[in-house]
Amino acid sequence: MKKHLKILEFALSSLLRRKYKNLSIVLVFSMVTFVIASILFLTHSFKKEALSVLEGAPQLIVQRLIAGRHALIPVSYIDEIKKMPGVGKVSPRYWGYYYDQLTGANYTIIGLDRAWSVNGRVMEGTALAPEDIGYCNIGFGVSDRRFLQVGDDLFLQDTKGGLYHFKVKGIFNMKSQLLTNDLVLITKKDFINLFQFPPSMATDLVVEVYNPSEVTNIAKKIKERLPDTRPITHDEILRTYNSLFNWRSGLMLTMFAGAVLAFVILAWDKATGLSAEERQEIGILKAIGWETSDVLALKFWEGASLSIISYLTGIIAAYFHVFFFGASIFAPALKGWSVLFPDFRLVPDIDIYQCFVLFMVTVLPYTVATIVPSWKAAVTDPDSVMRG
Amino acid sequence: MEPLIRVEGVSKCFNRGRPNEIWPVREVSLEIYPNEVVVLKGPSGSGKTTLLGLIGCMSRPTAGKILVKGMDVAKLPERFLTEIRRKTFGFIFQQFNLIKGITVKENIMLPLYPTPLGFKEISQTVNTLMKTLSLEHRADFRVEILSGGEQQRVAIARALVNNPDILMADEPTAHLDSKLSKDLLEILNTLKSKGKTIVIATHDPLVFESNIVDRVYEVRDGSIRASS
Amino acid sequence: MILHPGILALELGSALLILMLLYSAGLSIKILRHWDINSSSELQLNLERKTYLTSTIINYLLGYQIVSAILFIYTVDGLHTEFVGAMCATGTLNANPIGWYVLYLKILNIFIASIWIGINVLDQRSRYYPLTRLKSAGVLIMLPVFVLDGYLQTRYFLGLDPAVITSCCGALFSSQGSGLASTLSGMPIRLSQLFFLLATVFMFITGLLSLKGRRGLFKYLYGISGPVFFLVSISAIISFVSLYFYELPTHHCPFDILQADYHWIGYPLYITLFLSAVMAMLTGIYEALKSRIDEQSIVQGLQRKLIVTGLIAECIFIAICLWPILFSSFTLKGYYL
Repeated sequence: MKKHLKILEFALSSLLRRKYKNLSIVLVFSMVTFVIASILFLTHSFKKEALSVLEGAPQLIVQRLIAGRHALIPVSYIDEIKKMPGVGKVSPRYWGYYYDQLTGANYTIIGLDRAWSVNGRVMEGTALAPEDIGYCNIGFGVSDRRFLQVGDDLFLQDTKGGLYHFKVKGIFNMKSQLLTNDLVLITKKDFINLFQFPPSMATDLVVEVYNPSEVTNIAKKIKERLPDTRPITHDEILRTYNSLFNWRSGLMLTMFAGAVLAFVILAWDKATGLSAEERQEIGILKAIGWETSDVLALKFWEGASLSIISYLTGIIAAYFHVFFFGASIFAPALKGWSVLFPDFRLVPDIDIYQCFVLFMVTVLPYTVATIVPSWKAAVTDPDSVMRG
Repeated sequence: MEPLIRVEGVSKCFNRGRPNEIWPVREVSLEIYPNEVVVLKGPSGSGKTTLLGLIGCMSRPTAGKILVKGMDVAKLPERFLTEIRRKTFGFIFQQFNLIKGITVKENIMLPLYPTPLGFKEISQTVNTLMKTLSLEHRADFRVEILSGGEQQRVAIARALVNNPDILMADEPTAHLDSKLSKDLLEILNTLKSKGKTIVIATHDPLVFESNIVDRVYEVRDGSIRASS
Repeated sequence: MILHPGILALELGSALLILMLLYSAGLSIKILRHWDINSSSELQLNLERKTYLTSTIINYLLGYQIVSAILFIYTVDGLHTEFVGAMCATGTLNANPIGWYVLYLKILNIFIASIWIGINVLDQRSRYYPLTRLKSAGVLIMLPVFVLDGYLQTRYFLGLDPAVITSCCGALFSSQGSGLASTLSGMPIRLSQLFFLLATVFMFITGLLSLKGRRGLFKYLYGISGPVFFLVSISAIISFVSLYFYELPTHHCPFDILQADYHWIGYPLYITLFLSAVMAMLTGIYEALKSRIDEQSIVQGLQRKLIVTGLIAECIFIAICLWPILFSSFTLKGYYL
């Protein structure tokens, strides 16, 4: 152990003595780590955000399809579904999209018909209650675009061109911004008036199921009894989200495989192209009593230090890039939502798993590329320095 | 008296079986006794450096036996050869072969890095050694800014740091003027009085005619000619 | 399916490890064919140098294989959301039956690589490379096992079909049901505890006896106790130790303890278990190889170190297992006892 400490010390001083050569490796190595780490962190936190919202989402949603398109669902379906054994409460949901010409952005508008909880989300002001007619809660993005504070008025145009105004009662911020960013929450009455929503219709239905393991069965039954509906289970959404995000980051990783390859070639080249001076140094070490395995240990520590420095630099840079600068470089490719978000900040979240993945795709290729060249250097003849 | 090193019919070949096959050392036999100063005398290209390397366990002979303290090292695996070299021999090379960019002290410490000794012990050993060779004022200087004589002393200190029985020197005066050469002989004489065995490969008359030398082997075309 | 980042990393890792192993297998064949310790030819010198390359490669291989095994469990665990019915790693492993074999192979590979390295240490301490041929043969044995691991892993990930409805650890490691896992967790706890106790005591006593005595028999017995202790302990973890960590009478999962929720207690648990098993096995293997080594004191010195490390690891492992059993308020009384 003591021996390795000494060899490590010498390895570090060797690296410093060849600053420029090693700096280029560190730079490229960190870049590769940075890019891949950004992709992983970004997808991971998107997924986390999406899932954290879904956590509170209902187990089963029933939509109606007309000609394969999502259509409004008659409220009368509620009774039909309620009759099924194992089904608890069935409630309608009112929501839709609103295109705001003023800012050129799309808002998600939800009509509220019952009390809800802030659900851990940080909010400025207070939450909207079902009886708060003329009031609204808005997402941070909306407030930012329209320069609204709590107590200001939000103007929305109805279907006939008239203006409605809603007093801002609360603004969502920080956590889960990605999903509340474009949100406008108003009461159900206001919603129906604003959009001239047909009575006895709802956007979709939320079905409560007593036994969670029965959800799939009940979804099947609803589909049988009401063939024009599309039941969506919570798990299904989760799965879709998961595979979507995994697929996306996997795809991006594959795209960057070229970068990894280029880096590996660079590492190989740098490791193989020992300068005469380095070759002589290893010869001297061998001649003064270092054994092949000691030189191999030296090479190991050199490689390990380089890897750790670059790996950490890459990860830390990616962390700042993703969580403090909104992943400005890659977000568009991964986000997939409309790009209206003026600014959003992801909740910092990294797990060891990602670090392991990163390790496998960056440090391992580097090791493999340098293993044979290091050995070649280590078996230099000790008497090579005498032969001059 | 039992010789410290006995070389029996040793040959060394490079590039065997290829058109550029050469035999720098052929059928050499010699003996080195404890506390002797032995000179391998010969012009450059005579094979004395290769022979010095063979005796000092730097490389393995193609044929023959080399007994160091009674043990045949000719066929030992490299790692044991290294171990014996580290415990028994200290080398002073013709080109000094110091590592540039690190300090005098670090250079002298290097041979002890792969040993189980701790930093503190190594540091102490090196400090006393630097004092005896009057290098302590240069301890934290980079070796490349030192004068030739000082570099030579650093090389000697590095050769002595593992406290070897035998000091091997390859053309130690090649890069020194006559004054520095005399200083070097003075140092070697002190070492001899401390009980070290010294083997020098040289063609410098100043060295092989010096009165500290006990035995001279003349090397010609890879063979020992006559001894005096 | 295959475009999951974890899967990509694992596949890349396997490919690179196999590549390195292929290379060193090539070296090993050369060594087996031309090795002649009495020759001082340049060929022999080159071969001796190549043995360094082989041991470097295998050292790295072990390190990365450990990372790969952890990554595999994590990936499989992270994938569980994509399968109906899966709630943790177990569910995903069940989604394609090959999964379990991949896991077993990965663990086996770690064992093989560690033993190879242990033999290498012995070889490097002794003169004249007495075990070089054995080591080269070892590399040639390792290659197909690693290739099989890579192949099955690919088959496993390719064959994962999210439409499959799988069962989770709740179903697999539950007392009802068939199969090895259920048998293990369904085993009467008293019986399982008895086996665990016996294996622990057997290992400890043979270890102590081989430390004190000079008889080879005890060292062989200690060697045998290694794999036995490993298997019995794994079944003990599934059968009752895990229950205390989860404080749930029905949760038998051997993977969840690797999660942050349980303070990563699984890592020290499995590491010490693994160490105690490998050290014991190596002690026995050294005993068998003893006759080939010229200096017996080297073997004995190394064996001493192995046994001491192994016994310390065993004690820590047992301490970790007993800690929640003795100090948590959770009790199995009323559930099973």
